Amino acid sequence: MPEFLTRALVEILLLAVAGGLLGTWIVLRRLAFFTHAAGSATFPGLVVAGPWGVPAQVAALGSGLLYAVGLERLVRRRGVEPDTATGLLLVAALAGGTILASDAYPAGVGVDRLLFGTLLGLQDSDLAVSAGVAVLAVAATAALGRTWLATGFEPGSASALGVRAGAGDLLLLAGLALAVVAALPAVGALLVGTMLVVPAATARLVARSVPALQATAVGLAAAEGAGGLLLAYELDLPPGPAIALLGGIVFCVVALAVRRR
Amino acid sequence: MSGVVVQRLSAGYEPGRPVLTDVDFEAPRGGTVGVLGPNGGGKTTLFRVLLGELRPERGRVILGGSVASVPQGDHARLDFPVSALDVALMGAYGRTPWWRRIARADRDAARAALDRVGLLEHAGDRYGELSGGQRRRVLIARALVQDAQVLLLDEPFAGVDRASEERILRVLDELTGEGRTLLISTHDVEQARRFDRVLCLNRRQIAYGEPGDVLTAGCLQRTYGAELLVVGGEQVVAAPHHDCGEHA
Repeated sequence: MPEFLTRALVEILLLAVAGGLLGTWIVLRRLAFFTHAAGSATFPGLVVAGPWGVPAQVAALGSGLLYAVGLERLVRRRGVEPDTATGLLLVAALAGGTILASDAYPAGVGVDRLLFGTLLGLQDSDLAVSAGVAVLAVAATAALGRTWLATGFEPGSASALGVRAGAGDLLLLAGLALAVVAALPAVGALLVGTMLVVPAATARLVARSVPALQATAVGLAAAEGAGGLLLAYELDLPPGPAIALLGGIVFCVVALAVRRR
Repeated sequence: MSGVVVQRLSAGYEPGRPVLTDVDFEAPRGGTVGVLGPNGGGKTTLFRVLLGELRPERGRVILGGSVASVPQGDHARLDFPVSALDVALMGAYGRTPWWRRIARADRDAARAALDRVGLLEHAGDRYGELSGGQRRRVLIARALVQDAQVLLLDEPFAGVDRASEERILRVLDELTGEGRTLLISTHDVEQARRFDRVLCLNRRQIAYGEPGDVLTAGCLQRTYGAELLVVGGEQVVAAPHHDCGEHA
């Protein structure tokens, strides 16, 4: 197996850990659209990272932070519905990133890579970030899983149970931000849901408990990631979209099978 | 000895704008107190102060032990992949450090609590697939796992089937027998007659005392105002379904 392919496979398996574990909470807490928008929100940061000489991960985090602040302002201070505010910021981030790209990359080179990933051209630093985020996701699941479960199940009763819901939610969003940043090189700003949403959404169709959901989501993310990657290599397809498509097909098949049962 | 002492309490959600004032009562340890009042009358506000979620603007609260709440459960996510046992185990979350697993003793306590509310055989059933009455019993089991000395129950009999109501009444009797103090919010005046004390609230304390002294026509009129219907010479409270989303 060529080295770049091995590297891509390792990256996908690392992302599957964070994607499956955190994806469980994204799906259970109805944060899929938020996560998709958070991925898109990193796009302007990724565009300016090269020309400004800033590491891509740092620029993406900065851009994502602006999105979070904008969302908070629109929802809390202006009373805009959260979904509407998320949609507004998503459009603004994509439009802003595209306009910046027209200057920053004179020939538009690389924009498609920023949006859809470069799984076959990964750096050591990309693998290091994904490994770090995978470890953090495992640690956070062990330490905060109960808090996230109680808060998600019945937010109004969390504090009466002695659970620190506010701190837990903040750490969940921080974890999501890091997972989004880790997924960017592999699947790009527009397809972070490929690893963070699709496998967990599929697992949600069949899992009867949270641990089962997490285990199934991690397994599916790894299988869909590896399968999509090899398929893309064999058929000369872009790997990120190939994994996304495979994940979508698996979701449809499972949904149909569950409906028939 | 007292289970709950509330002295000259005022509380609200914005400084200087209390939604509940002049609440002053003492609930005996091991007693049941029915909390009556219209929607927006301050029942939820009082419970939130007792739970420590809301700071009193004035006055103070003295509790004879830890407090647990048994909500109506209307705001729980029924689609969550959690079993009755998982929900009962949530009662142990507060005392389990974040780096520890749930203790075996707590798992045993959760099973015992489910057994006590008659749901041990449903321990593995998905919470959202249980009946309304069974779900209420699971939430009582969760409070039992918390091992609180003071329980705040929000409309525990609203919308529950007969079997659940009887089981809940039996468990509540056992709890008071163990010296636990119960504050039970209700719209049902007849139900309130069974309790040791009744507290009537309508943005302030209207009355507190034994049911025979408190549940008079005049007092109920002041508590419920326009929501009070009189049918055949007997008072019947026709209040809309309690909304946990309301602040007061």
